[in-house]
Amino acid sequence: MLLQTQSITKEFGKLRAVNQVSLDIHKGDIHAIIGPNGAGKSTYFNLITGYHPATFGKVLFKDKEITHLPAYTRCTLGITRSFQITSIYPKFTVYESVLMALLSHRKVTLKFFSSANKFFKEKVWNILEDVELANQANTLGDSISHGDKKRLELAITLGTEPELLLLDEPTCGMSPEETESTMALIQKLSTERGITILFTEHDMSVVFGIAKRISVLHQGTLIADGSPQAVRASEEVQKVYLGGTA
Amino acid sequence: MMQRSEVAVNNSTIKRSWWLILLIIAFLIAPLVMSKFYLTILCEALVMSLFALSFNLLFGYMGQLSFGQAAFYGLGGYVVAMLITKLQFNFWLSLAAGAGMAGLVGLIVGYFCVRLRGIYFAVLTLAFGQLIFVIIFKWHKFTGGDDGIQGVFPPEYLRSIEAYYYLIFFVCAISAFILWRIVNSPFGQALKAMRENPERTEFLGIHIARYQLIAFVIAAAFAGLAGAVWVPFYRSVAPSYLTWIKSGEPVMAAILGGPNIFFGPVLGMFIMTFVHSYILGFTHFWPVIMGTIILIIIFVLPGGILEFAKVKITERREKAKIAKGQT
Repeated sequence: MLLQTQSITKEFGKLRAVNQVSLDIHKGDIHAIIGPNGAGKSTYFNLITGYHPATFGKVLFKDKEITHLPAYTRCTLGITRSFQITSIYPKFTVYESVLMALLSHRKVTLKFFSSANKFFKEKVWNILEDVELANQANTLGDSISHGDKKRLELAITLGTEPELLLLDEPTCGMSPEETESTMALIQKLSTERGITILFTEHDMSVVFGIAKRISVLHQGTLIADGSPQAVRASEEVQKVYLGGTA
Repeated sequence: MMQRSEVAVNNSTIKRSWWLILLIIAFLIAPLVMSKFYLTILCEALVMSLFALSFNLLFGYMGQLSFGQAAFYGLGGYVVAMLITKLQFNFWLSLAAGAGMAGLVGLIVGYFCVRLRGIYFAVLTLAFGQLIFVIIFKWHKFTGGDDGIQGVFPPEYLRSIEAYYYLIFFVCAISAFILWRIVNSPFGQALKAMRENPERTEFLGIHIARYQLIAFVIAAAFAGLAGAVWVPFYRSVAPSYLTWIKSGEPVMAAILGGPNIFFGPVLGMFIMTFVHSYILGFTHFWPVIMGTIILIIIFVLPGGILEFAKVKITERREKAKIAKGQT
Protein backbone atom coordinates (compact mmCIF):
# COMPACT_ATOMS: atom_id res chain seq x y z
CA MET A 1 0.00 0.00 0.00
CA LEU A 2 1.35 3.38 -0.99
CA LEU A 3 -0.97 5.81 0.75
CA GLN A 4 -3.52 5.38 3.47
CA THR A 5 -5.88 7.85 5.09
CA GLN A 6 -7.36 6.90 8.44
CA SER A 7 -10.57 8.67 9.45
CA ILE A 8 -9.20 11.84 7.93
CA THR A 9 -11.50 14.78 8.65
CA LYS A 10 -11.56 18.45 7.78
CA GLU A 11 -13.86 20.99 9.30
CA PHE A 12 -14.22 24.58 8.12
CA GLY A 13 -16.05 26.15 11.02
CA LYS A 14 -19.28 24.17 11.31
CA LEU A 15 -18.95 22.62 7.87
CA ARG A 16 -17.41 19.17 7.78
CA ALA A 17 -15.96 19.07 4.27
CA VAL A 18 -14.30 15.68 4.62
CA ASN A 19 -15.81 13.28 7.09
CA GLN A 20 -13.74 10.37 8.45
CA VAL A 21 -12.52 9.11 5.13
CA SER A 22 -10.46 5.92 5.44
CA LEU A 23 -9.03 4.84 2.13
CA ASP A 24 -6.08 2.82 0.80
CA ILE A 25 -4.32 3.75 -2.40
CA HIS A 26 -2.39 0.83 -3.85
CA LYS A 27 0.89 1.13 -5.64
CA GLY A 28 0.56 1.26 -9.41
CA ASP A 29 -3.19 1.94 -9.41
CA ILE A 30 -5.05 4.55 -11.36
CA HIS A 31 -7.53 5.53 -8.71
CA ALA A 32 -10.40 7.93 -9.29
CA ILE A 33 -12.21 9.95 -6.64
CA ILE A 34 -15.63 10.99 -7.86
CA GLY A 35 -18.56 12.78 -6.35
CA PRO A 36 -20.90 15.69 -7.09
CA ASN A 37 -19.73 19.29 -6.69
CA GLY A 38 -18.95 20.02 -3.08
CA ALA A 39 -18.45 16.35 -2.23
CA GLY A 40 -15.06 17.14 -0.71
CA LYS A 41 -12.80 15.75 -3.44
CA SER A 42 -10.48 18.73 -3.64
CA THR A 43 -10.41 19.10 0.14
CA TYR A 44 -9.45 15.43 0.40
CA PHE A 45 -6.59 16.12 -2.03
CA ASN A 46 -5.59 19.12 0.05
CA LEU A 47 -5.37 16.95 3.16
CA ILE A 48 -3.15 14.40 1.43
CA THR A 49 -0.80 17.02 -0.02
CA GLY A 50 -0.61 19.25 3.04
CA TYR A 51 -2.45 22.22 1.59
CA HIS A 52 -4.83 22.14 4.56
CA PRO A 53 -4.07 20.71 8.00
CA ALA A 54 -6.43 17.90 8.96
CA THR A 55 -8.87 18.50 11.83
CA PHE A 56 -8.24 14.93 12.88
CA GLY A 57 -7.32 11.59 11.39
CA LYS A 58 -4.08 10.39 9.85
CA VAL A 59 -2.34 10.27 6.50
CA LEU A 60 0.26 7.54 6.00
CA PHE A 61 2.63 7.40 3.05
CA LYS A 62 4.58 4.18 2.68
CA ASP A 63 3.55 3.32 6.26
CA LYS A 64 4.98 6.53 7.70
CA GLU A 65 2.72 9.16 9.16
CA ILE A 66 2.85 12.42 7.22
CA THR A 67 -0.26 14.09 8.67
CA HIS A 68 1.63 17.04 10.13
CA LEU A 69 4.38 17.45 7.54
CA PRO A 70 4.43 20.66 5.50
CA ALA A 71 3.55 20.52 1.80
CA TYR A 72 7.12 20.90 0.53
CA THR A 73 8.30 17.96 2.62
CA ARG A 74 5.50 15.73 1.33
CA CYS A 75 6.59 16.65 -2.17
CA THR A 76 10.18 15.64 -1.51
CA LEU A 77 8.88 12.29 -0.21
CA GLY A 78 7.26 11.62 -3.58
CA ILE A 79 3.76 13.13 -3.53
CA THR A 80 3.04 15.74 -6.19
CA ARG A 81 -0.19 17.33 -7.29
CA SER A 82 -1.82 19.38 -9.97
CA PHE A 83 -4.47 21.96 -9.16
CA GLN A 84 -8.03 22.24 -10.37
CA ILE A 85 -7.33 25.77 -11.55
CA THR A 86 -4.21 25.22 -13.62
CA SER A 87 -1.16 26.33 -11.69
CA ILE A 88 1.85 27.05 -13.90
CA TYR A 89 4.56 29.70 -14.26
CA PRO A 90 3.08 32.27 -16.66
CA LYS A 91 6.35 34.07 -17.37
CA PHE A 92 8.59 31.00 -17.53
CA THR A 93 9.07 29.22 -20.82
CA VAL A 94 7.68 25.71 -21.03
CA TYR A 95 11.24 24.41 -20.79
CA GLU A 96 12.11 26.51 -17.74
CA SER A 97 8.96 25.42 -15.95
CA VAL A 98 9.83 21.74 -16.17
CA LEU A 99 13.47 22.51 -15.38
CA MET A 100 12.35 24.24 -12.18
CA ALA A 101 10.65 21.07 -10.98
CA LEU A 102 13.77 19.02 -11.67
CA LEU A 103 16.07 21.54 -9.98
CA SER A 104 13.91 21.35 -6.89
CA HIS A 105 13.43 17.60 -6.87
CA ARG A 106 17.08 16.78 -7.44
CA LYS A 107 18.08 19.24 -4.73
CA VAL A 108 20.34 21.58 -6.66
CA THR A 109 18.40 24.75 -5.82
CA LEU A 110 21.01 25.75 -3.26
CA LYS A 111 23.67 26.09 -5.93
CA PHE A 112 24.42 29.80 -6.25
CA PHE A 113 27.03 30.13 -8.96
CA SER A 114 26.42 27.52 -11.62
CA SER A 115 24.13 28.34 -14.49
CA ALA A 116 20.65 26.83 -14.16
CA ASN A 117 20.45 25.91 -17.86
CA LYS A 118 23.26 23.42 -17.74
CA PHE A 119 21.27 21.04 -15.57
CA PHE A 120 19.12 18.07 -16.63
CA LYS A 121 18.72 18.98 -20.31
CA GLU A 122 18.16 15.40 -21.40
CA LYS A 123 15.59 14.79 -18.68
CA VAL A 124 13.62 17.98 -19.41
CA TRP A 125 13.42 17.14 -23.11
CA ASN A 126 12.30 13.60 -22.30
CA ILE A 127 9.42 14.92 -20.23
CA LEU A 128 8.50 17.53 -22.85
CA GLU A 129 8.43 14.85 -25.53
CA ASP A 130 6.31 12.60 -23.35
CA VAL A 131 3.66 15.28 -22.95
CA GLU A 132 4.09 16.48 -26.54
CA LEU A 133 5.17 20.00 -25.65
CA ALA A 134 8.71 19.82 -27.05
CA ASN A 135 7.85 22.02 -30.02
CA GLN A 136 6.70 24.76 -27.64
CA ALA A 137 9.71 24.56 -25.33
CA ASN A 138 10.59 28.23 -25.82
CA THR A 139 7.05 29.56 -25.52
CA LEU A 140 5.97 31.33 -22.35
CA GLY A 141 3.56 29.50 -20.08
CA ASP A 142 0.78 32.04 -20.49
CA SER A 143 0.99 32.01 -24.29
CA ILE A 144 -0.01 28.37 -24.84
CA SER A 145 -3.54 27.01 -25.21
CA HIS A 146 -5.65 25.97 -22.24
CA GLY A 147 -5.23 22.27 -22.93
CA ASP A 148 -1.48 22.72 -23.29
CA LYS A 149 -1.36 24.57 -19.98
CA LYS A 150 -2.97 21.57 -18.32
CA ARG A 151 -0.38 19.33 -19.93
CA LEU A 152 2.38 21.72 -18.93
CA GLU A 153 1.27 21.42 -15.33
CA LEU A 154 1.38 17.67 -15.73
CA ALA A 155 4.90 17.99 -17.16
CA ILE A 156 5.93 20.13 -14.18
CA THR A 157 4.63 17.51 -11.75
CA LEU A 158 6.57 14.84 -13.66
CA GLY A 159 9.71 16.87 -13.09
CA THR A 160 9.48 16.00 -9.41
CA GLU A 161 9.59 12.31 -10.37
CA PRO A 162 6.65 11.45 -8.10
CA GLU A 163 5.62 8.07 -6.82
CA LEU A 164 2.12 9.31 -6.17
CA LEU A 165 0.61 11.86 -8.49
CA LEU A 166 -2.63 13.62 -7.57
CA LEU A 167 -4.46 15.18 -10.48
CA ASP A 168 -7.35 17.46 -9.66
CA GLU A 169 -9.63 17.35 -12.72
CA PRO A 170 -6.84 16.88 -15.26
CA THR A 171 -9.14 17.27 -18.29
CA CYS A 172 -11.28 20.12 -16.99
CA GLY A 173 -12.12 22.53 -19.82
CA MET A 174 -10.51 20.37 -22.51
CA SER A 175 -11.98 19.52 -25.89
CA PRO A 176 -12.98 15.85 -26.39
CA GLU A 177 -9.81 15.24 -28.44
CA GLU A 178 -7.60 16.83 -25.81
CA THR A 179 -9.35 14.85 -23.11
CA GLU A 180 -8.75 11.62 -24.97
CA SER A 181 -5.05 12.30 -25.54
CA THR A 182 -4.55 13.43 -21.93
CA MET A 183 -6.14 10.27 -20.58
CA ALA A 184 -3.98 8.18 -22.90
CA LEU A 185 -0.98 10.07 -21.56
CA ILE A 186 -1.97 9.41 -17.95
CA GLN A 187 -2.37 5.73 -18.76
CA LYS A 188 1.08 5.74 -20.34
CA LEU A 189 2.67 7.44 -17.32
CA SER A 190 1.15 4.84 -15.10
CA THR A 191 2.38 1.87 -17.11
CA GLU A 192 5.76 3.22 -18.29
CA ARG A 193 6.89 5.16 -15.26
CA GLY A 194 5.02 3.13 -12.67
CA ILE A 195 3.49 6.25 -11.13
CA THR A 196 0.48 5.71 -8.89
CA ILE A 197 -2.24 8.12 -9.92
CA LEU A 198 -5.07 9.49 -7.84
CA PHE A 199 -7.39 11.76 -9.76
CA THR A 200 -10.73 13.52 -9.55
CA GLU A 201 -12.88 13.93 -12.60
CA HIS A 202 -16.32 15.07 -13.65
CA ASP A 203 -16.55 13.21 -16.92
CA MET A 204 -17.85 9.73 -16.14
CA SER A 205 -16.80 8.24 -19.46
CA VAL A 206 -13.23 9.31 -18.64
CA VAL A 207 -13.39 7.83 -15.17
CA PHE A 208 -14.84 4.48 -16.17
CA GLY A 209 -12.54 4.31 -19.18
CA ILE A 210 -9.29 4.50 -17.26
CA ALA A 211 -9.65 3.96 -13.51
CA LYS A 212 -8.78 0.64 -11.95
CA ARG A 213 -10.43 1.69 -8.75
CA ILE A 214 -13.05 4.26 -7.96
CA SER A 215 -14.00 5.85 -4.65
CA VAL A 216 -17.15 7.90 -4.33
CA LEU A 217 -17.47 10.84 -1.96
CA HIS A 218 -20.81 12.35 -1.07
CA GLN A 219 -21.05 15.31 1.31
CA GLY A 220 -17.59 14.56 2.58
CA THR A 221 -18.28 10.91 3.33
CA LEU A 222 -16.96 7.89 1.48
CA ILE A 223 -20.00 5.97 0.23
CA ALA A 224 -18.42 3.46 -2.14
CA ASP A 225 -14.99 2.14 -2.98
CA GLY A 226 -14.03 -0.63 -5.38
CA SER A 227 -13.69 -1.68 -8.99
CA PRO A 228 -15.54 0.33 -11.66
CA GLN A 229 -18.07 -2.51 -12.03
CA ALA A 230 -18.75 -2.65 -8.31
CA VAL A 231 -19.15 1.12 -8.06
CA ARG A 232 -21.41 1.23 -11.10
CA ALA A 233 -23.58 -1.46 -9.54
CA SER A 234 -23.83 0.22 -6.14
CA GLU A 235 -27.35 1.41 -5.49
CA GLU A 236 -26.28 4.19 -3.19
CA VAL A 237 -23.94 5.59 -5.82
CA GLN A 238 -26.68 5.47 -8.43
CA LYS A 239 -29.00 7.28 -6.09
CA VAL A 240 -26.74 10.18 -5.10
CA TYR A 241 -24.50 10.62 -8.05
CA LEU A 242 -25.27 8.79 -11.23
CA GLY A 243 -28.91 9.71 -10.98
CA GLY A 244 -29.91 6.10 -11.51
CA THR A 245 -29.01 6.22 -15.18
CA ALA A 246 -25.65 4.46 -15.16
CA MET B 1 10.28 20.51 -34.18
CA MET B 2 12.69 22.34 -31.95
CA GLN B 3 16.24 21.11 -31.74
CA ARG B 4 17.36 19.86 -28.38
CA SER B 5 20.64 21.67 -28.75
CA GLU B 6 18.87 25.02 -28.68
CA VAL B 7 19.20 26.57 -25.27
CA ALA B 8 15.67 27.06 -24.15
CA VAL B 9 16.24 28.95 -20.94
CA ASN B 10 15.61 32.69 -20.99
CA ASN B 11 19.05 34.16 -20.65
CA SER B 12 18.82 37.35 -22.57
CA THR B 13 21.11 39.64 -20.62
CA ILE B 14 24.58 38.86 -21.81
CA LYS B 15 24.16 36.87 -24.99
CA ARG B 16 26.24 39.26 -26.96
CA SER B 17 28.71 40.73 -24.55
CA TRP B 18 30.38 43.30 -26.81
CA TRP B 19 28.46 46.15 -25.20
CA LEU B 20 29.55 44.99 -21.77
CA ILE B 21 33.21 45.05 -22.79
CA LEU B 22 32.77 48.54 -24.22
CA LEU B 23 31.12 49.64 -21.00
CA ILE B 24 33.94 48.25 -18.85
CA ILE B 25 36.52 50.05 -21.02
CA ALA B 26 34.51 53.27 -20.70
CA PHE B 27 34.47 52.92 -16.91
CA LEU B 28 38.20 52.21 -16.82
CA ILE B 29 39.12 55.34 -18.79
CA ALA B 30 36.52 57.57 -17.12
CA PRO B 31 38.99 59.18 -14.65
CA LEU B 32 41.17 60.22 -17.57
CA VAL B 33 38.43 62.13 -19.36
CA MET B 34 36.01 63.24 -16.66
CA SER B 35 36.19 66.26 -14.39
CA LYS B 36 36.52 65.65 -10.66
CA PHE B 37 32.96 66.84 -10.18
CA TYR B 38 31.47 64.31 -12.57
CA LEU B 39 33.81 61.58 -11.36
CA THR B 40 32.39 62.10 -7.87
CA ILE B 41 28.87 61.81 -9.27
CA LEU B 42 29.92 58.65 -11.11
CA CYS B 43 31.22 57.17 -7.86
CA GLU B 44 27.88 57.87 -6.23
CA ALA B 45 25.98 56.40 -9.17
CA LEU B 46 28.05 53.20 -8.98
CA VAL B 47 27.59 52.76 -5.24
CA MET B 48 23.88 53.50 -5.47
CA SER B 49 23.65 51.02 -8.35
CA LEU B 50 25.06 48.28 -6.15
CA PHE B 51 22.54 49.31 -3.50
CA ALA B 52 19.76 49.11 -6.12
CA LEU B 53 20.95 45.72 -7.40
CA SER B 54 20.85 44.32 -3.88
CA PHE B 55 17.31 45.62 -3.49
CA ASN B 56 16.26 44.22 -6.84
CA LEU B 57 17.29 40.70 -5.89
CA LEU B 58 14.28 40.88 -3.58
CA PHE B 59 11.99 43.04 -5.70
CA GLY B 60 12.64 42.07 -9.31
CA TYR B 61 13.65 38.45 -8.80
CA MET B 62 11.92 37.30 -5.63
CA GLY B 63 8.85 39.51 -6.07
CA GLN B 64 8.91 41.09 -2.59
CA LEU B 65 9.07 44.85 -2.07
CA SER B 66 11.54 45.69 0.68
CA PHE B 67 11.06 49.20 1.98
CA GLY B 68 13.82 49.04 4.57
CA GLN B 69 16.86 48.32 2.44
CA ALA B 70 18.54 51.60 3.45
CA ALA B 71 18.90 50.29 7.01
CA PHE B 72 21.43 47.75 5.72
CA TYR B 73 23.13 50.32 3.51
CA GLY B 74 23.45 52.66 6.48
CA LEU B 75 24.55 49.88 8.84
CA GLY B 76 27.40 48.95 6.51
CA GLY B 77 28.43 52.60 6.47
CA TYR B 78 28.24 52.98 10.25
CA VAL B 79 30.24 49.82 10.92
CA VAL B 80 33.05 51.05 8.68
CA ALA B 81 32.95 54.56 10.15
CA MET B 82 33.10 53.31 13.73
CA LEU B 83 35.78 50.71 13.11
CA ILE B 84 38.01 53.17 11.30
CA THR B 85 37.55 56.21 13.55
CA LYS B 86 37.23 54.53 16.95
CA LEU B 87 39.43 51.45 16.59
CA GLN B 88 41.71 52.44 13.70
CA PHE B 89 40.73 49.10 12.22
CA ASN B 90 42.14 47.82 8.94
CA PHE B 91 40.28 49.43 6.03
CA TRP B 92 39.69 46.27 4.01
CA LEU B 93 38.56 44.28 7.01
CA SER B 94 36.22 47.15 7.89
CA LEU B 95 34.54 46.87 4.48
CA ALA B 96 34.06 43.14 5.02
CA ALA B 97 32.77 43.76 8.53
CA GLY B 98 30.26 46.32 7.19
CA ALA B 99 28.84 43.81 4.73
CA GLY B 100 28.95 41.03 7.33
CA MET B 101 27.15 43.04 9.99
CA ALA B 102 24.46 44.07 7.50
CA GLY B 103 24.03 40.41 6.54
CA LEU B 104 23.80 39.39 10.19
CA VAL B 105 21.14 42.00 10.99
CA GLY B 106 19.46 40.97 7.72
CA LEU B 107 19.25 37.44 9.09
CA ILE B 108 17.40 38.63 12.18
CA VAL B 109 15.09 41.08 10.38
CA GLY B 110 14.53 38.67 7.50
CA TYR B 111 13.55 35.88 9.87
CA PHE B 112 10.39 37.81 10.68
CA CYS B 113 9.77 39.43 7.30
CA VAL B 114 9.91 36.38 5.01
CA ARG B 115 6.85 34.92 6.65
CA LEU B 116 4.81 37.70 5.06
CA ARG B 117 3.84 38.57 1.51
CA GLY B 118 3.11 41.69 -0.48
CA ILE B 119 2.18 44.84 1.40
CA TYR B 120 2.74 43.18 4.80
CA PHE B 121 6.29 42.31 3.87
CA ALA B 122 6.84 45.88 2.64
CA VAL B 123 5.43 47.42 5.81
CA LEU B 124 7.40 45.14 8.14
CA THR B 125 10.69 45.87 6.33
CA LEU B 126 9.80 49.56 6.61
CA ALA B 127 9.14 49.17 10.33
CA PHE B 128 12.43 47.37 10.96
CA GLY B 129 14.25 49.94 8.84
CA GLN B 130 12.83 52.79 10.91
CA LEU B 131 13.64 50.90 14.11
CA ILE B 132 17.31 50.60 13.17
CA PHE B 133 17.28 54.26 12.08
CA VAL B 134 15.87 55.39 15.43
CA ILE B 135 18.42 53.36 17.39
CA ILE B 136 21.28 54.97 15.50
CA PHE B 137 19.68 58.41 15.63
CA LYS B 138 19.03 58.34 19.37
CA TRP B 139 22.08 56.51 20.67
CA HIS B 140 24.22 59.61 20.68
CA LYS B 141 27.07 58.28 22.81
CA PHE B 142 27.71 55.31 20.62
CA THR B 143 26.81 56.47 17.12
CA GLY B 144 27.11 60.23 17.33
CA GLY B 145 23.35 60.60 16.95
CA ASP B 146 22.24 63.21 14.46
CA ASP B 147 25.82 64.51 14.17
CA GLY B 148 26.87 61.29 12.49
CA ILE B 149 30.55 60.39 12.34
CA GLN B 150 33.13 62.49 10.53
CA GLY B 151 36.74 61.95 9.60
CA VAL B 152 36.36 58.50 8.11
CA PHE B 153 39.50 58.36 5.98
CA PRO B 154 40.54 55.57 3.66
CA PRO B 155 44.24 54.56 3.61
CA GLU B 156 46.71 57.03 2.12
CA TYR B 157 46.88 55.30 -1.29
CA LEU B 158 43.11 55.57 -1.74
CA ARG B 159 42.67 59.23 -0.83
CA SER B 160 42.59 60.64 -4.34
CA ILE B 161 39.23 60.61 -6.09
CA GLU B 162 40.69 58.63 -9.01
CA ALA B 163 42.16 55.88 -6.82
CA TYR B 164 38.98 55.53 -4.81
CA TYR B 165 36.93 55.54 -7.99
CA TYR B 166 38.76 52.42 -9.14
CA LEU B 167 38.10 50.76 -5.78
CA ILE B 168 34.40 51.56 -6.08
CA PHE B 169 34.30 50.39 -9.66
CA PHE B 170 35.92 47.03 -8.87
CA VAL B 171 33.81 46.41 -5.77
CA CYS B 172 30.63 47.20 -7.72
CA ALA B 173 31.66 45.25 -10.81
CA ILE B 174 32.61 42.13 -8.84
CA SER B 175 29.45 42.38 -6.72
CA ALA B 176 27.31 42.80 -9.84
CA PHE B 177 28.99 39.77 -11.38
CA ILE B 178 28.28 37.68 -8.27
CA LEU B 179 24.66 38.84 -8.16
CA TRP B 180 24.31 38.12 -11.86
CA ARG B 181 25.57 34.57 -11.34
CA ILE B 182 23.16 34.16 -8.44
CA VAL B 183 20.06 35.24 -10.38
CA ASN B 184 20.94 32.84 -13.19
CA SER B 185 21.76 29.94 -10.87
CA PRO B 186 19.33 27.23 -9.73
CA PHE B 187 18.85 29.31 -6.57
CA GLY B 188 17.94 32.32 -8.70
CA GLN B 189 15.54 30.17 -10.67
CA ALA B 190 13.86 29.17 -7.41
CA LEU B 191 13.53 32.86 -6.46
CA LYS B 192 11.87 33.66 -9.77
CA ALA B 193 9.60 30.65 -9.38
CA MET B 194 8.48 31.96 -5.98
CA ARG B 195 7.72 35.32 -7.58
CA GLU B 196 5.77 33.72 -10.44
CA ASN B 197 3.77 31.23 -8.43
CA PRO B 198 4.64 30.63 -4.77
CA GLU B 199 1.98 27.94 -4.36
CA ARG B 200 3.18 25.87 -7.32
CA THR B 201 6.76 26.27 -6.10
CA GLU B 202 5.98 25.08 -2.59
CA PHE B 203 4.28 22.05 -4.11
CA LEU B 204 7.49 21.27 -5.97
CA GLY B 205 9.27 20.83 -2.65
CA ILE B 206 10.69 24.34 -2.05
CA HIS B 207 10.64 25.71 1.50
CA ILE B 208 9.65 29.26 0.54
CA ALA B 209 10.53 31.04 3.80
CA ARG B 210 13.98 29.45 3.91
CA TYR B 211 14.86 30.52 0.37
CA GLN B 212 13.50 34.00 0.90
CA LEU B 213 15.56 34.35 4.05
CA ILE B 214 18.76 33.39 2.21
CA ALA B 215 17.96 35.96 -0.48
CA PHE B 216 17.19 38.55 2.19
CA VAL B 217 20.59 38.03 3.84
CA ILE B 218 22.43 38.21 0.51
CA ALA B 219 20.59 41.43 -0.37
CA ALA B 220 21.31 42.93 3.07
CA ALA B 221 25.02 42.06 2.83
CA PHE B 222 25.43 43.67 -0.60
CA ALA B 223 23.50 46.77 0.54
CA GLY B 224 25.85 46.87 3.54
CA LEU B 225 28.87 46.58 1.25
CA ALA B 226 27.58 49.50 -0.83
CA GLY B 227 27.26 51.66 2.30
CA ALA B 228 30.62 50.45 3.58
CA VAL B 229 32.49 51.40 0.43
CA TRP B 230 30.72 54.76 0.12
CA VAL B 231 31.38 56.21 3.59
CA PRO B 232 35.22 56.43 3.43
CA PHE B 233 34.84 58.18 0.06
CA TYR B 234 32.47 60.74 1.53
CA ARG B 235 34.59 60.81 4.74
CA SER B 236 31.46 60.79 6.93
CA VAL B 237 28.22 59.02 7.71
CA ALA B 238 24.90 60.35 9.03
CA PRO B 239 21.56 58.85 10.14
CA SER B 240 19.96 60.12 6.93
CA TYR B 241 21.56 57.11 5.21
CA LEU B 242 19.06 54.86 6.94
CA THR B 243 15.83 56.77 6.39
CA TRP B 244 12.85 55.44 4.50
CA ILE B 245 13.47 58.13 1.90
CA LYS B 246 16.79 56.46 1.16
CA SER B 247 14.98 53.12 1.02
CA GLY B 248 12.71 54.58 -1.64
CA GLU B 249 15.58 55.40 -3.99
CA PRO B 250 16.28 51.84 -5.17
CA VAL B 251 12.52 51.32 -5.53
CA MET B 252 12.31 54.26 -7.93
CA ALA B 253 15.51 53.25 -9.73
CA ALA B 254 14.15 49.75 -10.34
CA ILE B 255 10.83 51.05 -11.65
CA LEU B 256 12.62 53.57 -13.84
CA GLY B 257 15.11 51.17 -15.41
CA GLY B 258 13.06 47.98 -15.30
CA PRO B 259 12.99 45.53 -12.37
CA ASN B 260 12.77 42.46 -14.60
CA ILE B 261 16.08 43.10 -16.30
CA PHE B 262 19.28 42.68 -14.36
CA PHE B 263 20.81 46.06 -15.25
CA GLY B 264 17.47 47.91 -15.10
CA PRO B 265 18.02 49.32 -11.57
CA VAL B 266 21.57 50.32 -12.54
CA LEU B 267 20.30 52.39 -15.45
CA GLY B 268 17.61 53.86 -13.17
CA MET B 269 20.18 54.84 -10.55
CA PHE B 270 22.49 56.41 -13.15
CA ILE B 271 19.64 58.49 -14.53
CA MET B 272 18.52 59.53 -11.05
CA THR B 273 21.99 60.40 -9.79
CA PHE B 274 23.12 62.36 -12.85
CA VAL B 275 19.81 64.13 -13.49
CA HIS B 276 19.70 65.01 -9.79
CA SER B 277 23.15 66.60 -9.78
CA TYR B 278 22.38 68.44 -13.02
CA ILE B 279 19.01 69.78 -11.95
CA LEU B 280 20.28 70.91 -8.52
CA GLY B 281 22.35 73.44 -10.46
CA PHE B 282 19.28 75.56 -11.14
CA THR B 283 16.39 74.41 -8.95
CA HIS B 284 15.67 72.81 -5.61
CA PHE B 285 12.46 71.24 -6.90
CA TRP B 286 14.22 67.96 -7.65
CA PRO B 287 11.49 65.77 -6.09
CA VAL B 288 8.89 67.35 -8.39
CA ILE B 289 10.94 66.55 -11.46
CA MET B 290 11.74 63.03 -10.27
CA GLY B 291 8.06 62.47 -9.50
CA THR B 292 7.13 63.58 -12.99
CA ILE B 293 9.69 61.24 -14.55
CA ILE B 294 8.40 58.28 -12.52
CA LEU B 295 4.82 59.16 -13.47
CA ILE B 296 5.69 59.22 -17.15
CA ILE B 297 7.57 55.92 -16.89
CA ILE B 298 4.71 54.17 -15.12
CA PHE B 299 2.13 55.29 -17.67
CA VAL B 300 4.18 55.23 -20.87
CA LEU B 301 6.78 52.48 -20.23
CA PRO B 302 5.20 50.30 -17.56
CA GLY B 303 8.02 47.74 -17.49
CA GLY B 304 10.75 50.37 -17.22
CA ILE B 305 13.14 51.71 -19.84
CA LEU B 306 15.16 48.54 -20.46
CA GLU B 307 12.07 46.35 -20.63
CA PHE B 308 10.65 48.69 -23.25
CA ALA B 309 13.91 48.54 -25.20
CA LYS B 310 13.95 44.76 -24.98
CA VAL B 311 10.40 44.48 -26.31
CA LYS B 312 11.21 46.83 -29.19
CA ILE B 313 14.37 44.93 -30.10
CA THR B 314 12.56 41.59 -30.01
CA GLU B 315 9.77 42.97 -32.21
CA ARG B 316 12.33 44.24 -34.69
CA ARG B 317 14.07 40.88 -34.87
CA GLU B 318 10.77 39.08 -35.38
CA LYS B 319 9.88 41.47 -38.19
CA ALA B 320 13.28 40.97 -39.78
CA LYS B 321 12.80 37.21 -39.59
CA ILE B 322 9.39 37.43 -41.22
CA ALA B 323 10.79 39.70 -43.92
CA LYS B 324 13.44 37.10 -44.65
CA GLY B 325 10.70 34.51 -44.90
CA GLN B 326 11.92 32.31 -42.06
CA THR B 327 8.82 32.40 -39.91
